[in-house]
Amino acid sequence: MSAKRDGANDARRDFLKLAGLAAVTGGALTASGKSAAASEIPVEGATGYRETDHVKTYYKLARF
Amino acid sequence: MGKATALLHREHDVAEEDVLRANLYRLLAHVLRQAPKQSDLDMFAAMDGDATPIGEAVGALARIAGKIRPETIDREYHDLFIGLGRGELVPYGSYYLTGFLNEKPLARLRTDMARLGIERRVEVREPEDHIAAECEMMAGLILGDFGEAFDLDDQRDFFKAHVAPWARHFFTDLEAARSSVFYAGVGRLGAAFMDVEEEAFSML
Repeated sequence: MSAKRDGANDARRDFLKLAGLAAVTGGALTASGKSAAASEIPVEGATGYRETDHVKTYYKLARF
Repeated sequence: MGKATALLHREHDVAEEDVLRANLYRLLAHVLRQAPKQSDLDMFAAMDGDATPIGEAVGALARIAGKIRPETIDREYHDLFIGLGRGELVPYGSYYLTGFLNEKPLARLRTDMARLGIERRVEVREPEDHIAAECEMMAGLILGDFGEAFDLDDQRDFFKAHVAPWARHFFTDLEAARSSVFYAGVGRLGAAFMDVEEEAFSML
């Protein structure tokens, strides 16, 4: 990354720091007592698709 | 990107702000894939907002999560996304952008997924342009779930090509949907987050 690019990313990071994102994990962290990690939010898998009801709806719609 | 570079990337810590972004994408994906359970609601209810648009949306969602019952949200989820034949909303990018499922936006997404090395699990039959899937992909790109953490240019390109064209519109619709109570909070949070993502990427 160039110095100019680093500067742009610093500005971006400063902007994100003030964007309220921490509010989301704050609660999640308190509830789970763990350090910041994306796995705080339970997921079914990395791209954890499952056949759920909305998938069935999709197939109904796709037959239109 | 070469293998050595990819390994190097994985060893690098992802910046805290980016972990928080991934976390929010995961939260949105989680509640949009299926109605949350009581344990999820307990976690959401413990969140504290602040005076930012995202913080205010978090505060609102936390208040709803502390009051609503999972059975009520199950019904809400059904009315919004399942319905009889279809729900109130159809949460697929292709549908939002063209009025039809399985159109060019989905094809373009699949092309980019192949290029970035994102694969659908074999047992999965759900189309990739579901809002939850796209949120999971963003989280995966940020954190390196697909073998390497993708740099901000890749994240921005993916966001601009596949998420930005419709996700904010979807979240706004979700906030305003007739059936939405808990999901009105999710929609508000998602819309606020899309604004922040848009602005943050524009700084690069």
